[in-house]
Amino acid sequence: MTPDTAEPDADGPVTMMDYFMQLEYHELLCPVVRRYAEQLLDGKLIGHKCPSCGLVYLPPRGYCPICVVETTDADEIELADHGTVTNYTVVTPVQYYGQEETEPFVRASVQLDGGNATMNLQDLVDVPVDEVRVGMRVAAVWKPKAERDVSEISNRSWGSAEGCIDGWKPTGEPDLPAEQFLGKAAF
Amino acid sequence: MCSTPAVPDAPLTTHTIEFPYTRTLGPVVGPFLTGLRDGHLLGVRNRDGRVLVPPLEWDPATGEPIDADFVEVGPAGTVETWAWVGEPTRKHPLDHPFAFALIRLDGADTGLLHAVDAGSPDRMHTGMRVTARWKGERIGHITDLTFVPEEAR
Repeated sequence: MTPDTAEPDADGPVTMMDYFMQLEYHELLCPVVRRYAEQLLDGKLIGHKCPSCGLVYLPPRGYCPICVVETTDADEIELADHGTVTNYTVVTPVQYYGQEETEPFVRASVQLDGGNATMNLQDLVDVPVDEVRVGMRVAAVWKPKAERDVSEISNRSWGSAEGCIDGWKPTGEPDLPAEQFLGKAAF
Repeated sequence: MCSTPAVPDAPLTTHTIEFPYTRTLGPVVGPFLTGLRDGHLLGVRNRDGRVLVPPLEWDPATGEPIDADFVEVGPAGTVETWAWVGEPTRKHPLDHPFAFALIRLDGADTGLLHAVDAGSPDRMHTGMRVTARWKGERIGHITDLTFVPEEAR
């Protein structure tokens, strides 16, 4: 879309000014995130399982902040690429600079089967916005291998798989009870 | 984020944060930038009769409000001090080496910080005369002009 900028009026008084700020960071990917990105390219979601409390971190952080212990390659586990919507938000896009969406869309938290690992801010596909439910069973829609791209993965993009997963689509399995997820903290 | 050191051959990742603000200019900076678009440099006169360029809404010496009493200044002036920018970044007003200078425009009592396209630091000195070089297409922004040594005109 066209940036919403101050349109200069050729004759009238100048009353507005674009005031763009841009911060561009170039940084080394932290080794555990780099490993996460490489595995995404291979179509796998990995995490670290804390050897002390058993909580799973996706992507791996290299430590468990609750137990204050380091986690290493030995704690790496492969996670399921299907799970359950634990909560979601319907976003009605405002056409600010950089907004590419024009219609209401969903950002959902998906708890992967087999543990606590939850991916946040995930896009749902093949389901109308008003049919999304807590407890809905979904599966990842991976991009074709040749199209996968991890250039958006940064040291701060915890749980992001954009560039490798288009979104999550309903599997058609029966929902899990919403009470199982509502009011719970996600890790 | 993690305790293990980064491996040396790891690729760099780029992370960009943008704040695309648009701001209103107000009763003093607005006319100043309107003047630039129209090819005029404007200052304001404070209560002591001193001409401030760029114009301000408040007198920095006393904190008193300044009436929007605009005075045209320049387009030539005198360099009060300067620094050579040998390696401009993409955010700088010129894409080749230039000087940032405090320029006291003719008719002004304060210095305006701006770029002087002098070609070489050998051509820069305090006290030198410079004059405005206007862009052909102007939008009402401080980058609508740069300065050049007066003899280069």
